[in-house]
Amino acid sequence: MTALRIGKGVQILLLAALYVFLYGPIIYITYVSFQANSVWPFPPEFTAKHYISLWNEENYHSGFVNSLAIGIGTGVIASVLATMAAVAILKYRVRRSVYIAGLFLMPLFIAHILIGVSSLMFNKMLLGLPGNIFSAILANATYATAFAFLVVVAQLARYDWRLDEAAMVFGATPGTTFREVTFPLIWPAILGAFIVSFLLAFNNLEISFYNLGATPTLPTLAWGSLRHGVSEELYALAALINVAVFIFLGVMYVLLRTGVVRLDYKD
Amino acid sequence: MSSNKRLFWWLVAPGAIFLILFLILPLASIVVFSFWRTESYTLIPDWNLDNYIRILTDWTYIKFLLRSLSMATIVSLICLVFSWPIAFFIARYGGKFKLIYLLLTSAPFLTGEILRVTALQQILGPIGVINMALSTFGFEPIQALMYTNTATAIGLTYLWIPFMVLAIYLSLLNFDFELLEVAKVNGARPLRAFWEITWPLNRAGSAIGVVLVFIPTLASSITSKFLGGPNGALYGNILANQFGSTGTWALGSAMGVVLFAISLIVLYIVWKMVGDLKRSGVTIKGGAEL
Repeated sequence: MTALRIGKGVQILLLAALYVFLYGPIIYITYVSFQANSVWPFPPEFTAKHYISLWNEENYHSGFVNSLAIGIGTGVIASVLATMAAVAILKYRVRRSVYIAGLFLMPLFIAHILIGVSSLMFNKMLLGLPGNIFSAILANATYATAFAFLVVVAQLARYDWRLDEAAMVFGATPGTTFREVTFPLIWPAILGAFIVSFLLAFNNLEISFYNLGATPTLPTLAWGSLRHGVSEELYALAALINVAVFIFLGVMYVLLRTGVVRLDYKD
Repeated sequence: MSSNKRLFWWLVAPGAIFLILFLILPLASIVVFSFWRTESYTLIPDWNLDNYIRILTDWTYIKFLLRSLSMATIVSLICLVFSWPIAFFIARYGGKFKLIYLLLTSAPFLTGEILRVTALQQILGPIGVINMALSTFGFEPIQALMYTNTATAIGLTYLWIPFMVLAIYLSLLNFDFELLEVAKVNGARPLRAFWEITWPLNRAGSAIGVVLVFIPTLASSITSKFLGGPNGALYGNILANQFGSTGTWALGSAMGVVLFAISLIVLYIVWKMVGDLKRSGVTIKGGAEL
């Protein structure tokens, strides 16, 4: 009994340690982003100058717009393709659909740098396309589809497909059934998939970098800036992006809580 | 073909075609390019094995490959050991906070690699807060944290540990914790119960977690570039160089193919070690197997 209690205590300690490990740097960089002296910001001396210099860098404005475009484009493609596949696999239970699931999960097992350089080479050499925002969206959408697929499958695993059958019995076409029955119930899962793939693509460096040519995004600008030594406006950028991610995940939390099924679908 | 079957294919076809066109075909194309050669920034279809011979015989490339392999092995093992108790706790005792624990674990991942590395530089680097604090209070700074492979390993663990926790957690979702109670009643101590029941039944989660951490770590270039210092370059950095300043795309493609082949081998080994995936609990309740 005591061994069990010690075990549980160790687990709680490790969970706490994980959060300190994960959030220590995030909290610290947010603190530094408001400090005049970024090397040793003690005692604190608050300032907004890093935020002002971030705002004054014109590059970051176009970078933000481009990142947004990549995020939205990728999010739409990934969530639509993933939802279609997840619904098909879970609803129709066709034999061998496990291979299709494997195909949709495959991008998770491929390093981003390989997705980046291979799509660069493919577009340039075989299709003669220069790098641009569209090729970046298409390349990002490959692995984002895998993440979106995971989110939707996890959410829909306990969706009751008999609802759809009932609608079909009353003469609804598959299209109408989806619009009137399935979609109103599963939209939180789809939006969750969109949020995850949007954030991944918005913040992606390795894939976007190789496909963009000279088009700047927030991560490629941050990369350039970090390469030339520490730039203090990056602290402000990191703080802002972290806040944005948290807002999005807060939305997702509400969605998952109110969604058809929860991630912990155990009875 | 029944109408259900037809609908199934209509629904999966767009995504499947998309992935074949924009993921599999590009990957196949670098296999082709890896047998060509580059001359002044152009690829020339002059079939040869020189790129592979160079990668597999030149000590520089082997050295970076070995360094990346050991980095990936160490980081995956660290992630595995630390994630198990954490995932176990969330799955067993998480209760209604499970989702919050999980979202808190995954949130940093979504910020992107470059900003996370920026934050880590502020903690680990020579002017990072740890060493600044030590020197301010009159202690020796920790050399190991300043632009070393250790710093890279910490950074990679930081980046990828969320994947491991999630993978193990998902495999524990369908685990029946009552089994542990039965073991306890029959006199098994907690550690023995873990080794004989929990671990064997949930190896699949660990295997998937290890692969999900191993592959990106093996290919990593950004973390080592900004945390590893002048002697910290990894295979991924050398690979990235071929597509940057040097412009030797054919050699870069071959390096990519080698990386991909190693990923497949690791996937195969881990899969073999796990054995029968189905028995180990990676099923979505309701019957769809993944």
